[in-house]
Amino acid sequence: MTSTMSPVPEDLALHGTLSANVVGFSRHLRRRGIGVCPSETAAALGALGCVDIGDEGQFRSALRICLAKSLKEQQLFDDCFDHYWRMWDRAGELNRPAPDADTGKAGRADTLPVQLTLREWLSIGDGATEEEEEETAAYSPIEVVTHRDFAGLQADELDDMSRVVEEFARALARRLNRRYRKLSGRGRIDLRRTLRTNLRRGGELVDLVFRSRRQRKLKLVVLCDVSRSMDLYCRFLLQFLYAFASAYRRLEVFGFSTSLRRLTPTLREGEWSHVLAGLSRDMPEWSGGTRIGACLADFADSWSESLVDRRTAVIILSDGWDTGDPDMLSHAMARIRRRAFAVLWLNPLMGSPGFRPETEGMLAALPHIDLLAPAHNVAALRDLAKSLGRLERRGTVRRPYAHLASSTENESEPQATLTGPNAPSSIANLRALEEESAFRTSS
Amino acid sequence: MPNPETELVQRQLADHGYIADADISMSLHLARSLRKPLLVEGPAGVGKTEIAKVLARVLDTDLIRLQCYEGLDTSTSLYEWNYQRQLLQIRMEEEEKGRTLEQKEAHIFSEPFLLKRPLLQAITHHRPPVLLIDELDRADEEFESFLLEVLSDWQITIPELGTITATHIPYVVVTGNRTRELSDALRRRCFYLWIDYPDFDKELAIVRSRVDGIDAQLAEEICRFMAGARQQQLEKPPGVAETLDWARALVTLHRHRLDVATVEETLGVVFKDYHDITHVKQSLAEFLESVGVRSTLAQRGHTEADA
Repeated sequence: MTSTMSPVPEDLALHGTLSANVVGFSRHLRRRGIGVCPSETAAALGALGCVDIGDEGQFRSALRICLAKSLKEQQLFDDCFDHYWRMWDRAGELNRPAPDADTGKAGRADTLPVQLTLREWLSIGDGATEEEEEETAAYSPIEVVTHRDFAGLQADELDDMSRVVEEFARALARRLNRRYRKLSGRGRIDLRRTLRTNLRRGGELVDLVFRSRRQRKLKLVVLCDVSRSMDLYCRFLLQFLYAFASAYRRLEVFGFSTSLRRLTPTLREGEWSHVLAGLSRDMPEWSGGTRIGACLADFADSWSESLVDRRTAVIILSDGWDTGDPDMLSHAMARIRRRAFAVLWLNPLMGSPGFRPETEGMLAALPHIDLLAPAHNVAALRDLAKSLGRLERRGTVRRPYAHLASSTENESEPQATLTGPNAPSSIANLRALEEESAFRTSS
Repeated sequence: MPNPETELVQRQLADHGYIADADISMSLHLARSLRKPLLVEGPAGVGKTEIAKVLARVLDTDLIRLQCYEGLDTSTSLYEWNYQRQLLQIRMEEEEKGRTLEQKEAHIFSEPFLLKRPLLQAITHHRPPVLLIDELDRADEEFESFLLEVLSDWQITIPELGTITATHIPYVVVTGNRTRELSDALRRRCFYLWIDYPDFDKELAIVRSRVDGIDAQLAEEICRFMAGARQQQLEKPPGVAETLDWARALVTLHRHRLDVATVEETLGVVFKDYHDITHVKQSLAEFLESVGVRSTLAQRGHTEADA
């Protein structure tokens, strides 16, 4: 680097210097989390050849189009741009080829928070990156944290955990996407229909009729309890849903405590911190009491018609601590169950060894549930994909607790008959559930 | 110092009825000069698809459109053999003794029997077309990776025919609604443009250039209403497409000002969600007031008197 470094961008254009700077800037962006690859840097240099780089607006705009490839990255880019190119201005003022770090810092400590010199920008490892690398190493043994109950996490474990939760959400979404993928090609030829349609052409098989096997992917509607009793789990469940929503399109998310709110649009709003702010804006009654029955009834009234069909699994994330009317809950559950493909209830409390689904709310809901499963740690969430798959293949008993419904409140809903040796009988089944959940936590 | 070339792009776009800001014209200028695909993202109805259409008009070339949907596969996006035609050809040639079996086979697997789908069409077009790959996020991930291959190599291999290399490299515009995150590999290969809802001035310019015979005052009121509406918590915030529809509807109805009755009548043009409509209806008068449609109350008194 020579004395050509000066505050005005025109001078940066002098041979080699500009490209060196663009390369340095790309590296800077990479460090800030924008995955710029060499071909993009090359494209950026090409682009600068097509614009008037003397004009800062154009210079910036061209680089942004070439290097920042999402809304989030554009925002990051905007932060980095000033940071980086202003540094060049200062480098010009210092007017020395490669000022060393100390002088740079001491001389300009008052102007900008981060006073890094040229050499530091262009060198590979600075403090921040090393720290990041350590972090990466720390959360790589995912299995270790997988089985930890969310509730028992220390403050410093929270961040690691949320990374793991996000990773798993994406993995789960990938798995669901894969599982329900349409068969490749057009399916099998329907011989009988092919022959029949081609009869009028003298039996020549001109048009082939395919047996369409378009299997639609499963839609998910998640109703997440955000009341106070769920506080410990909410953060992770919502983050899980956030990551899941970005990877799985057929997902609707609602939050409820004392009233029901649709969260789907907010969950898709970009960065997690931003989403979190949006969620607390959407849910003024966050951490309030619980009225599961009323909220589910509200869902059944206003949403289930448009969102729930035979290809939709409704997943309720709640501990079942309800202060409302159990009849109302049971009635609402029945209505949702009638429209849906399956109703799953994920209960974080099932992770604790002494769990029995004995809260009033839980008991009222049980008869209408196809699967009751734990959701207290990542491993439990991971099992969700398997459970959904099993339900799809009809490998499980539907509404295993249906007989628990008292005959008085069970209007039009016919009693489901349980068949097979695995049909659970009320108390024995609850025991089995208990053992299974104990097994899960210990394994 | 303005860039004559981006300004030219901006002017050309404006000539074809597309009001572009500096970012849009810059990215089109770069995509055109460097022949890189342009990935356009943004909320629904801000004119993402329109960019490709207007680009085709500016370049005076053809637009080839590939609309993506779930389950889109190579036979609908790339090519397909015209099975019926092949069969009939075989039938017709049955009696013919002149040609060997191999020749016959080579014949029925030649270009006349090939049904070209958008991607193949685009790379074999007689001059560089604009290729619009619309709503790529709706297609499956497998298709996205396949597309990536086409966009980087500009050639397509058909087992029976061999490799077809692009005669011209098309101008590619990819749009997405962010219903699914597109892969990094694809993003990195494209230029990126994020189009947001236009600000008041830009939207006003759009309305005035696209809606013939609109009253200046009405156009302003409509744009102020839209800007205000997008501040609300709505399920489906209205896009520019809705603004234009609404403006045209009001012009057709010979309305010159916004008032409660007019807005209520035409609310369905702007808001496409039941919850949004009820939400806006509830406090319409106050809302109109808040976005500065001053005549509201007077107008309402007037309409009531009429009734």
